[in-house]
Amino acid sequence: MLIDADAMLGRHPRRDAGPGTVAQSLADMDRFGIAESLVSHSWSWLHDPRAGNLRLLDLVADQPRLHACWVLLPATCEETGTPERFVAAALDGGVRAVRAYPADHGYDLAGRDVAPMLAAVSEAGLPLLVDATQTTWGAVESIATAHPSLTIVVGGLGYRVLRQAAGVLSRTRKVHVGLANLSSHCGLEWLVERYGYGRLIFGTGAPLRDPAESVTRLLWSELDDEAVAAIASGNLLRVVA
Amino acid sequence: MKALFDREPPRSVRIVDAHAHTGPYSLFFIPDSGAEAMARVMDRCGVSHAVISSHLAIQLDAAEGNAATADVVDRLPDRFTGYLTVNPWQDPTGELGKWGMDPRFGGIKLHPDLHDYPLTGRRFEPVWEFAEETGCPVLTHTYDDSPYNDLPMLEEVATRHPDVVILAGHAGATPLGFDRAIEVAQRRPGVVLEVCGSFNTGADIVRMVREVGPDRVVYGSDFPFIDLRMSLGRVIFCDLTEEDRAAVLGGTMTRLLEWRSGLE
Repeated sequence: MLIDADAMLGRHPRRDAGPGTVAQSLADMDRFGIAESLVSHSWSWLHDPRAGNLRLLDLVADQPRLHACWVLLPATCEETGTPERFVAAALDGGVRAVRAYPADHGYDLAGRDVAPMLAAVSEAGLPLLVDATQTTWGAVESIATAHPSLTIVVGGLGYRVLRQAAGVLSRTRKVHVGLANLSSHCGLEWLVERYGYGRLIFGTGAPLRDPAESVTRLLWSELDDEAVAAIASGNLLRVVA
Repeated sequence: MKALFDREPPRSVRIVDAHAHTGPYSLFFIPDSGAEAMARVMDRCGVSHAVISSHLAIQLDAAEGNAATADVVDRLPDRFTGYLTVNPWQDPTGELGKWGMDPRFGGIKLHPDLHDYPLTGRRFEPVWEFAEETGCPVLTHTYDDSPYNDLPMLEEVATRHPDVVILAGHAGATPLGFDRAIEVAQRRPGVVLEVCGSFNTGADIVRMVREVGPDRVVYGSDFPFIDLRMSLGRVIFCDLTEEDRAAVLGGTMTRLLEWRSGLE
């Protein structure tokens, strides 16, 4: 069973990614054999995190195959409330994970401003998703050290960063790698051999990325069926709230 | 697609990777960049053949790199054909003279972005002359808005050399680049779109086939830069007829590699 930990609803301004509707998302999931998806909303990324998070809850309320992933901000201006209120509202709404866009939202993931929010998220058992292009590996290691219970999933690695990722993965326990655009040649197999299949989590990056990439990458990998099953869904189910 | 979900390689279609490399590369770590590991991945995914230029050739040293490419073809001749890399700063005429008629090479590879030299530059003239005389296809890196190989430059060389088959590597590489590459290919019949890269999607590939035809769109992966399965998955899942998909996956590239049979 495939569960996509890296998908999004909503429109996109910089390429033709379709209407971003629930219907489109479900149709794409059917096409690629994806049973369920953890989705955030493009409004939370590119417009208004608070409004996007609330809109997302409305959209997935009656969709058992879609699970909400909210976008967090530093609480310095209380745009999404205090850390305590943000986390309480997330849990009340059935949110299963949170995502950060530190580059696009203008803060340092390892800085003091967002630290209380990360502490609250960690305390609540919500995994943190972040794309490699939104932060640095140094920042990922820093927050993993500061919040040792926090599960972090770094997605969108591309094919040029294994050298940087490897050190952080070696020195941390709860940093995971997402499959969306995990595109180093034989990189998936190398990561599993070195860190175990428990550190990898299936995701597509849809609709900006073509889900065909991650599905094909995983199913035609050189991994055995046990590892594929864990990466496809088992690992995510283990870490989500 | 059933083969994929069964975790078995596809066997019903000949797949030829039109854009591949081999060997280590200094800018980033590649877990296993050797030809044997590449062949193993090809077996896993049902890819019959790949056309390669060594990373050594495109990154640093065309002469030693072309020898490295030829060596891989010697070791695994059924799996690989070489692209002869021409670096405009490293004796283009000499490299063409040394390797041009060597059957281990099935095409010429240009990478203007890596060599800081424009695709339209005079140092590439021996390449176009050789391609016009022989029918040898030329694969060039393309990237929208690049100072060395953007789409207007592709159009300029395709206009100057209408009888040369020019494979537009990455088909412009970005969403805007895909639109521009399609427009160039519609105006210049010698241009063939090659689809590997980080930003392409199945929907983009379908649009390319619809706009320029399945005989002018070819599957490539850029492996072992980018894992072969990323681009392959897009083509396997995208909304093409099986006939058109077979052409993109390997039929068209197989035909383009047969130019030597027409030489006297």
